[in-house]
Amino acid sequence: MGIETQLRRAITVFRFAALGYPLVMCAILFGVLVRPVTALLLVASIALWTWLVSASYARHGFKTSLLYADLAATVAAVVASAWALELSDRTAGISVGPWQAGAVLVWAVSGGRRRGVIAAAVISAVTMLFRGGINENTVSEAILLILTGLMVGHLTRLAVEAERRMRQAAARSAAARERERLARDIHDSVLQVLALVQRRGNEVGGEAAELGRLAGQQEEALRTLISSESYRHPLDGQRDVRELLGKHSGESVTIAAPAVPVRLPSRYAHQLAAAVSSALDNVREHCPEGTHAWMLVEDDRNAVTVTVRDNGPGMAPGRLAEAAAEGRLGVAQSIQGRIEELGGEVVVVSAPGAGTEVEMRMPRPRPKAGGHGDTDGGR
Amino acid sequence: MATLMVVDDHPIWRDAISRDLGEAGHEVVACLGEGRQALTAIRQHQPQVAILDLQLPDLSGVEVLRALGEDCSTEVLVLSASGESDDVLEAVKAGARGYLLKSASTAELLEAVERVAAGDAVFTPGLAGLVLGEYRRLAGAPAEEQRPRLSERETEVLRLVAKGLTYKEIAARLYLSPRTVQNHVQRTLGKLQLHNRAQLVRYAIEHGIDEA
Repeated sequence: MGIETQLRRAITVFRFAALGYPLVMCAILFGVLVRPVTALLLVASIALWTWLVSASYARHGFKTSLLYADLAATVAAVVASAWALELSDRTAGISVGPWQAGAVLVWAVSGGRRRGVIAAAVISAVTMLFRGGINENTVSEAILLILTGLMVGHLTRLAVEAERRMRQAAARSAAARERERLARDIHDSVLQVLALVQRRGNEVGGEAAELGRLAGQQEEALRTLISSESYRHPLDGQRDVRELLGKHSGESVTIAAPAVPVRLPSRYAHQLAAAVSSALDNVREHCPEGTHAWMLVEDDRNAVTVTVRDNGPGMAPGRLAEAAAEGRLGVAQSIQGRIEELGGEVVVVSAPGAGTEVEMRMPRPRPKAGGHGDTDGGR
Repeated sequence: MATLMVVDDHPIWRDAISRDLGEAGHEVVACLGEGRQALTAIRQHQPQVAILDLQLPDLSGVEVLRALGEDCSTEVLVLSASGESDDVLEAVKAGARGYLLKSASTAELLEAVERVAAGDAVFTPGLAGLVLGEYRRLAGAPAEEQRPRLSERETEVLRLVAKGLTYKEIAARLYLSPRTVQNHVQRTLGKLQLHNRAQLVRYAIEHGIDEA
């Protein structure tokens, strides 16, 4: 049951209890009521309305039309009470008392403090207009009513927000638990079998080797899938670089990275990942089949560095500058452009016969003063 | 050739591996499926290398590693289906000499077994990346904690291992002997294991487990 439902029920109880005030007052002062029958009729219709509107809220929730009707009825009851509950021995008649706060509570709970204050102001204004003008009583009543609307509205927002967060956290931890259970199961069974198929397939050779290779690919894919850690470490506004790069892991790419999340603000992380993709594309494009690439992810607090190394034929010094001069800007533009745009740097080291190494260093933006710059990589 | 023991709860796996190792000329002294059994058997037979799965029905592989401690002459090579970085780090910190995934080829397994039997650590690029990351994580830990540090040379070597260079290639690049490269790598692991043991002891003392 949500917090709103609970509050709605509490308000219903309050409204019926608050009906006691005009009832008891009428009973005590029955002798001096100017119009006893009309008074009884009014109290009866207030009770009927209370029941009706509470039942409607229970069925339809806080519908706007219902809220307006409720406020209108409350205003009407306040106006009517000035005449129907008139007493012969004093200037002011009986009021509906705390009952009028019911509408304020409903407005505050459903719409927050501003709505709560509006409802309270409307009712107070009507009270002053029709029941004795501006005096000590009506003013203090108005202040109490407005305070009620303000505070209940505010607290409700806080409670609803807290509830939403709690529910999110619960869902997240349930998802994480389920995922971990699945991961364990998969480790225990599927991965073992896939690895076995790969192993035996390679030994038997021929078509079985192809099957083994496929099993190996699936194993890799499954492993990446179940080891995605974002569920375990929620990262607000940040991305785990390892997770973005994980998809590259496979037969021809080996990834080395820390065990803890490597966080960067989302934009930086994606830009870095895109640069890494370009570097790998480059290896695929320019190196012969069978070239292997290694990727190292490092986190030194101030920056995240990803190095992509291949064991391909490599390039002569100056080859990159030449390509850029010829107007072919593949590597230069897509890698350097992306990294340098955000203040990072790229170093390319290559020699014929020694492969190529591209080191991309993406700085961590300094947390803004005042903001909570929680970017520490620890757990 | 070396004396080996295979500990894995998966019978097909156990058989496949011990057959491969046997065919390669090694002597497999026992094949077991449970952690406690394995502990007794390792202490009794003292094989050169125990090939250990992390997922065992009674004790976990890491618990077996911790129970073995340093006074045992057997080196442990973990062969696990799990590539989860936490599992890998924990096993290595608990004293494993190497960590291979079950998807490793027979040739890779044989090479790893021979290297571990010779007293060397088996560092895959992935493991090097994890160890580098762990040192950096520890460097950011609260200052009162005793934390292990890598020398500049060690960092350099580990980075090259993580980037997929072989010890030979690293040696050529840094003008060192392959033996020296191996020593550097070994030391990075040793310091981490020592730190881990010290922490476990401290934890035990702080929580009164030691008094028993």
